[in-house]
Amino acid sequence: MKRIRIPSCATPSLAPRAARRPLCPYATALQRSIAPHNHRIQARFQTTTAVENFGGEQIEIEALAEQTPNAPAAPRQSQIHGSIRPEELPSPHPSEAVRSVKLSALRARLSLPPRFPLQTLARTLVHPSADPDPNFNNASMSMLGANLLGYYTTEYLLCNYPRLPISVIFAAQNAYVGPRALAIIAREWGIEAAAEPGGEVDPGLLQFKRLKPGEGVPAILARQVPWKWNTTNTHRIVATDEFGSDNAPPSPHSLATTPVPMEEAAQSFVRALVGSLHLHLGAPLVKRFFKAHFLSRHLDISTMFNFRTPTRDLSRLCAREGFESPVARLISETGRLSRHPVFVVGVYSGKDKLGEGAGSSLDEARVRAAAAALKAWYLYRPVDVTLPSSMEGELDTSKWKPNMVDCGEVIV
Amino acid sequence: MASLRPLRSLFASATSALSAAQPAQRALVRTSARAFSTTAPSRSPEYGTEAAEQPRWQQTPPRMMAPFRVRPKPRGPEFKVNDDPRRLDDAYARLLGPGGDKVLSEEVKWLAVTHKSFDHGRRGFNDRLAYLGRRIVMLQTSQALLNAPQAEAWPRDSKGTPVADEFGRIPFLHPALSGLRGLTGEASDQVLDKSRLAGLAERYGFDKVTRWKPKRTDNLQGSGLESVLTTTLYAVVGAIALERGGEIANKITQDKILAPLGFTFTAD
Repeated sequence: MKRIRIPSCATPSLAPRAARRPLCPYATALQRSIAPHNHRIQARFQTTTAVENFGGEQIEIEALAEQTPNAPAAPRQSQIHGSIRPEELPSPHPSEAVRSVKLSALRARLSLPPRFPLQTLARTLVHPSADPDPNFNNASMSMLGANLLGYYTTEYLLCNYPRLPISVIFAAQNAYVGPRALAIIAREWGIEAAAEPGGEVDPGLLQFKRLKPGEGVPAILARQVPWKWNTTNTHRIVATDEFGSDNAPPSPHSLATTPVPMEEAAQSFVRALVGSLHLHLGAPLVKRFFKAHFLSRHLDISTMFNFRTPTRDLSRLCAREGFESPVARLISETGRLSRHPVFVVGVYSGKDKLGEGAGSSLDEARVRAAAAALKAWYLYRPVDVTLPSSMEGELDTSKWKPNMVDCGEVIV
Repeated sequence: MASLRPLRSLFASATSALSAAQPAQRALVRTSARAFSTTAPSRSPEYGTEAAEQPRWQQTPPRMMAPFRVRPKPRGPEFKVNDDPRRLDDAYARLLGPGGDKVLSEEVKWLAVTHKSFDHGRRGFNDRLAYLGRRIVMLQTSQALLNAPQAEAWPRDSKGTPVADEFGRIPFLHPALSGLRGLTGEASDQVLDKSRLAGLAERYGFDKVTRWKPKRTDNLQGSGLESVLTTTLYAVVGAIALERGGEIANKITQDKILAPLGFTFTAD
């Protein structure tokens, strides 16, 4: 009987790696100044060494300890670890990260390559409210991750739906990468939260200072009264965040002393994870990660519209574009004098039907038809698009197809 | 039996279709004995005449205009807006270098400098472009702050070993994470301050070619000039990204926006 070779099921992160990648601890630092001519090489240069190559977690400490045997012993982690009890630390010690089962499982569950350090993954789970020191929490990484997520989502929406009104863009952005969406994604990834942050909790738990029951949301996070009540969407684009909020959100560093809701902590984790992936593994992997985890979520943008007077909007749109004025015509009806009539009305511009709607009154059907016509205009979708980020670091520009730029939604 | 309404609208559309097909004929085309409209057809240009061939940026759509103005004119001097393509090309050439006026197509060039307040939004506006442009500029700013030369990532003693903090711990130090200290909300807000960006746009000459309508022509600052100029700058970046790709847009952001604000970029 032929013996079938079964690959070993040992944890791949602990298996000795073949020397295809530079093992020199200074490789990444040295080669950062060399211009990478290929994004794949760039990703390779950004790799970290495998976990077992440094017994402590600092590459520098090991090398320097070897070089200076006469120097007094560098403060080894185990020594410090022993003198201060874990409960006194605000967040788990970085050396605990490699011993955490939850972190290894999380990294494997997200299909992240083993060269992504567990220590960084542990740091992404620490909210500033748990540990105010910016070198140990995820504040800066979450800023970078928020920018990345915002950019990738915006370019996807604008290239695939060039005519979408700005308020629908705000709503769609919120649905893909807004605070609540990120909190749901974190829960789907299996992130659990520690009851109270501290050095003794498992590094694989989300750590943040919780609100006390009965306590209101802290002032820094509460919706502030806007300075001016008539902020327009255009003002919000440059003044506040990407979701069209009335006020700019607080910077992550400013949340270092306040208790926060879990949604805020989960959002900061997801953003920090994306940011740290970008730093360690490079942009191409982050784009694949984004497509796999965020864009794969189904969103029906046609349900995100809210019209007030679609008939008037449609009339102005036809005037702007030079179409014939829209005319509503009754296509079919039933039960006019009964308790549940149904009227099917179509809106026509000349001989072309722009939209159709059914309702229980003539006016309702006409309004629905106009709304359907407007949606058909705004939800126009080109067949194939090239995203701007696909050209980053790309030498072959022949694949680029300029995207459609629409002039804007109709203003009545 | 169907009500009279659809028949009436059918006749009305037939009348308008016929009148559209024969623009020269000014007489009322009667399809029935009784005229349904007593008003003569308006003298405004019909579809297919030379008014419709003008590009969108140049004229407000004729069917959206009333024949005469009813409201009184606003107080203050009249605000003139640029309509000369050469001046716009000059501004783009100042921003993007020689040949900068060829980077974007003609309609998009005008759209990027048109604020929503101009002509009541009838000629298009740069909201979406500014939205994308701001995302690009914020991301490039974050990356520039990460790569900017800054103080040591973690304090070290005289021998170069990292010093333990008050809890006796040393963070996980890695070259990829060394720039994170410089990336804070305050730093980002300081770099992308509205007045700084507006000043930059003025240096490139975009305050002369931006099309907008100030609330008070004698007080442009109070009418939000800075916000409008910032929108224009973001919109140009967004337009370049959509028409030319992210690589060029990132380069323009780095060289033309962030470099004047104090960042230096090595040849990457």
